Amino acid sequence: MSVDVLSSIKDSLVNLDMDKTIDFVRRAVELGFKPMDIINVLADGMRVVGVRYERGEYFVSDLIVASEIFKEVMSILEPLITRVGEVVRPFGRVVIGTVEGDVHDIGKNLVITMLRANGFEVIDLGVDVPPKRFVEAVKQHKPDIVGMSALLTSTMVNMKRVIEALEEEGLRSSVKVIVGGAPITEKFAREIGADAYGENAVIAVDICKKLVEELHRGK
Amino acid sequence: MGLKLRDRVISALRHEEPDRIPIDLGATPCTSVHAKTYYDLRKYLGLSLKPVRVMDIGQQLAEVDKDVLDLLHVDVVNVNRVLEPMAPHPYIYRFASVVDGSLKEVSDREFYIWRAPYGVDVEIPKYIEIVEVGEGFAGYSAGNIFGIIPRGGYYFWGLDRWRKSKPPLADVKSVDDVKKFDWDSFKVADDVVEILRKRAEYLYRNTDYALINNFIGGPGGYHDAGGQNLRGWDKWLSDLRVRKPLAEAILDHIHEVMMYNIKKIVNAVGEYVQVTAIAYDDLGTEEGPQISVQTFKEFYKHRYEELIGYVKKHSRMFTWLHSCGSVYPFIREFIDIGLDIINPVQISARGMDPEKLKKEFGEQITFWGGGVDTQHVLPLAKPDEVVDHVKKLIKIFAPGGGYVYASVHNIQPGAPPQNIVAMFKTAYEYGKYPIR
Repeated sequence: MSVDVLSSIKDSLVNLDMDKTIDFVRRAVELGFKPMDIINVLADGMRVVGVRYERGEYFVSDLIVASEIFKEVMSILEPLITRVGEVVRPFGRVVIGTVEGDVHDIGKNLVITMLRANGFEVIDLGVDVPPKRFVEAVKQHKPDIVGMSALLTSTMVNMKRVIEALEEEGLRSSVKVIVGGAPITEKFAREIGADAYGENAVIAVDICKKLVEELHRGK
Repeated sequence: MGLKLRDRVISALRHEEPDRIPIDLGATPCTSVHAKTYYDLRKYLGLSLKPVRVMDIGQQLAEVDKDVLDLLHVDVVNVNRVLEPMAPHPYIYRFASVVDGSLKEVSDREFYIWRAPYGVDVEIPKYIEIVEVGEGFAGYSAGNIFGIIPRGGYYFWGLDRWRKSKPPLADVKSVDDVKKFDWDSFKVADDVVEILRKRAEYLYRNTDYALINNFIGGPGGYHDAGGQNLRGWDKWLSDLRVRKPLAEAILDHIHEVMMYNIKKIVNAVGEYVQVTAIAYDDLGTEEGPQISVQTFKEFYKHRYEELIGYVKKHSRMFTWLHSCGSVYPFIREFIDIGLDIINPVQISARGMDPEKLKKEFGEQITFWGGGVDTQHVLPLAKPDEVVDHVKKLIKIFAPGGGYVYASVHNIQPGAPPQNIVAMFKTAYEYGKYPIR
């Protein structure tokens, strides 16, 4: 029964059933499971949801629902975490924005949602973000990763300006840079000196995890 | 002697092969060209250079002049055109100016010149006022703010992008909250519909063009134009699963407005217009449908059925739906409820393979668009590559009719004029039936 409840949490998240997930989480808490154990099975569940999306079995709406369930459950778990004195360290910190001249934000917001649901701390700079603001945010928040989004062929060039600005300020080596958006390609990402290209929100999360590990190995 | 333009379009929509494929540029806010690109195109063609008249302020789309319509062999125009051929019935706006507070009374046929941030002089109708703000330039329509164009930007965007405002229903919690929203504000006014009728009648009697009505008022659709615009893009997607009663209540109101508006519009223009838009409702992303077919059936299909059914029952107009992205699985559903035309046929999105679309649905639905990949080919390829690309697509889409040539959505800045000319020249020359 006690192990069952953890797998039931995962299953109900994977099946996108908010009520059941919350019920099982409450039951797990009553049974004395540590918040971290519960968070770990939720993370497993999110991974399965991502895999199903990649396979075309799940839709973007399902990613959103899964993230919302995750958020709801975390609002139950967070007070407990504080009470039992556990410390939940975010997986990594990401500063993200849509580059200057471009105000498309659906893709960027989806990446944010998925990053948060996978344990990242995200600082969202919004849209139409000039290089200067990216630089300021890196200085202020000291992130592991800088994420940039663009939908227009006319604005994607501004990604390069941000990377140049980070270089000028001597900040480039302290962060990993990931870019994404409809016109962006792996080749373009390499050409402008980014570390990675995230084809979609699910892939972006996987890459961000790898980038954080790389960064910490390098330090 | 070729067919009359209008007959050519009707014939294609009846899934017959006319003398050549009909061509559209500028008849809808989804098959047009950005003012900057249009300016460069006129220059390249050696046509008179003048400020570009804008027909869609938000997207900064050009109204295509008669000389370009002729040159590119365009067969269809919309009823509300503001350049020749144009109906002589102005609509009068009365509002308090946000600039100086004075009371304004201007028609939608009066313009002033504005230097857009992308460096082109454009003609903006006088009921639109533009005021410089921190983020760029704020646009007001008859006194109401509708968006901001960033410095160096190409389009006006809603204020929610800067978190200056939220979608109107972002914070509603209950069905009662939904009821309190001013849904009547979405209903089209009788005087607007009357002008629309006069314009449609005039263009029907005095031109040979096929006519499309792309004005539908209101939210403009159920999903992206409806729930997502009113609640927020992602919030609506979760509403459809975890807050179903709320979603249903919102959709009931949207549907009531959509039905109210379509009835007025059908009664006004049904006699004169060959094609009417029924919704602008993106259901796809580049990677796949936003929602499952099951969700589509649960929330949207029956409502669309009633909407389309009304048009079909009360007029001979063909029904036209715009839905971006990967919408392959929904096309079958729309065919099932009588939709005639799908646009923009985003051939680069996953699952939108032209051959598969034509083979599976070509006899039952007209593809209006899909004529050039505006994201990856038109701005980036060489003119002869554009020619090959367009020929290939025409060869797939044109046989048996059921095809109106247009780009996949609007042609954006960055598309070289050489490529645009190559595209339309190929559509005209290679689009003659029988397709070789």
